[in-house]
Amino acid sequence: MMDIDFEELAIFVETLENTDFTHFLYEKGDVRIEVRRGGGDVPAMPASSPASASAPAAVVSDPPVPATAPAAAPASAAPSRVGAAPTEDDIVVAAPLLGTVYLAPKPGEARFVEVGATVAPESSLCIVEVMKLMNTVHAGTAGIVTAIHVTDGQLVEHGQPLFSIRADAAA
Amino acid sequence: MTGHRVFVANRGEIAVRILDACARLGVETVLGASAADTDTLGARRADRTVVIGPARSTDSYLSIPTVVHAAIATGCTALHPGYGFLSEQPELARLCAENGIIFIGPTAEQLEALGDKLRARELAASLGVPLAHGGEADTLAEANALAEQIGYPVLIKAAHGGGGRGMKLVEAADELEHAWSVASSEAESAFGDGTVFLESYIRDAKHIEVQILGDAHGHRVHLGERECSVQRRYQKVIEEAPCAALSAENRRLLHESALRIADALDYVSLGTVEFLYDVDRERLSFLEVNPRVQVEHPVTEAVTGVDLVREQLLIAFGEPLSFEQADVTVSGHAIECRITAQDPDADFQPSPGRVTRWRPPATGGIRVDSHIYEGYLFPPYYDALMGKLIAFGADRAAAVEQVQRALDRFEIAGPRTNLPLLQAITAHPDFTANTVTTHWLEGMLKEAVHG
Repeated sequence: MMDIDFEELAIFVETLENTDFTHFLYEKGDVRIEVRRGGGDVPAMPASSPASASAPAAVVSDPPVPATAPAAAPASAAPSRVGAAPTEDDIVVAAPLLGTVYLAPKPGEARFVEVGATVAPESSLCIVEVMKLMNTVHAGTAGIVTAIHVTDGQLVEHGQPLFSIRADAAA
Repeated sequence: MTGHRVFVANRGEIAVRILDACARLGVETVLGASAADTDTLGARRADRTVVIGPARSTDSYLSIPTVVHAAIATGCTALHPGYGFLSEQPELARLCAENGIIFIGPTAEQLEALGDKLRARELAASLGVPLAHGGEADTLAEANALAEQIGYPVLIKAAHGGGGRGMKLVEAADELEHAWSVASSEAESAFGDGTVFLESYIRDAKHIEVQILGDAHGHRVHLGERECSVQRRYQKVIEEAPCAALSAENRRLLHESALRIADALDYVSLGTVEFLYDVDRERLSFLEVNPRVQVEHPVTEAVTGVDLVREQLLIAFGEPLSFEQADVTVSGHAIECRITAQDPDADFQPSPGRVTRWRPPATGGIRVDSHIYEGYLFPPYYDALMGKLIAFGADRAAAVEQVQRALDRFEIAGPRTNLPLLQAITAHPDFTANTVTTHWLEGMLKEAVHG
């Protein structure tokens, strides 16, 4: 059961490289393989992490591949987040349009917000760029940022979740 | 065709058609879908689907920067615009070219030239292509003089219109002034350019069009003609290939004229040159060029055996045409019916909703191009086309029989459809006798109401 065909795994990862996935989870029996790339929304990753879609930064992360764990393994895979973990009650700020998301006003600058930041409705959260046209996304609500669901420089689709915010009342 | 990835900037049946052609060439695909279209057959068939915007097409399918951005960000090398939406927008072709994306269609310059119907008309005239009498008039006085010269009735057309939009019929001189100013201001608001022109009106005509293909290496061929006379408000309802009403001599003139236009434009890609055919006078007159794949392309595929979308893709990738004019032969007869979610008994009101039954006929000689499946929720945001039924037979009579049988066996429930109307048309003696002209359907519908 611990048998992992590394050649097969390599093909797996190679195939995945040709797609734009950021998070891949495979479970069969008690084999569990999880692959992430692009830094996810782990705050420790530098903001300048690979933006280009073709960057084959197939980061294999926690737990280290090939991980075999009982299927009922605790969801330790969930990225660690500062402060309160997002819940279903949190308000999700979705991408108002398709484009490339930028979490900082300019490359190299500090991000608009980090997880745990307190925001007002008019606070800027990110920029969605469409053919060099910059569209600022505002929080739209007052509260605390509980999660950032996207990576700097990635393509976001219309309606894709960008941030979770715990509204003030609930905080 | 490794190395290419095509962005499909369209929806509905044509998106499925393009995705299939790509799959058969081994070309990867990305479909740009609106938020209302993530459950479509196209979304299932594409290698990847990205949501480009909300249901409203101005913010999704009609947003040029969005589709180009999506194509670039998903690593696409080419973009197929389908028909309708942005397919004839020079700005899309230009933005693609600027960003190293192959626009699957003619160049921005060619789209611009063809989008101006007056310029296209002048081109046709300069090439000796048969044309309805008429031309440009800058003032009402000029228009009056021109109308007197060519004789009433005349048609006022918008230079930047097309597909029947921006047209006004003028029966007599006293109506001209009003029609002229209305047409001009309508054209200004609809197309951003108030330029209009006059043409002598042909009352009883068949709509005939020639399929052309040109590659980037200077080869151009035609693939015969289609007839699309069964129309309602300039929307085609039934199309067929070939046009059985043409004499051999007129057919030759038709094909030559289309090729002359293609040659003069150095046309690259798939296109259609449209004509009217005055049956009584046996006279052809040029209408316009459609620089894109057309809804009715399958009838040409059926009688020539050429996969037009495949050729269109290969041409865009820089391949030379794999055949010459001498290799093109037309055999048999094909008829296409456009099945729409419209209620013919309620003034063709759209009838969206859940498709609870969708059973295309399992019978010989039939092709169905559609994005519908049982359980699909037909959205209210876009056009009413559900699919196309294409019947093939050894000759026109056999194709008519085939299409009648197929329509009878087609089971659709949920939305109201035009199936009963299609059955009535294809069973009508005028249709079987092939005497239908472009105004026939409206007359038949009136009769059906009053008779």
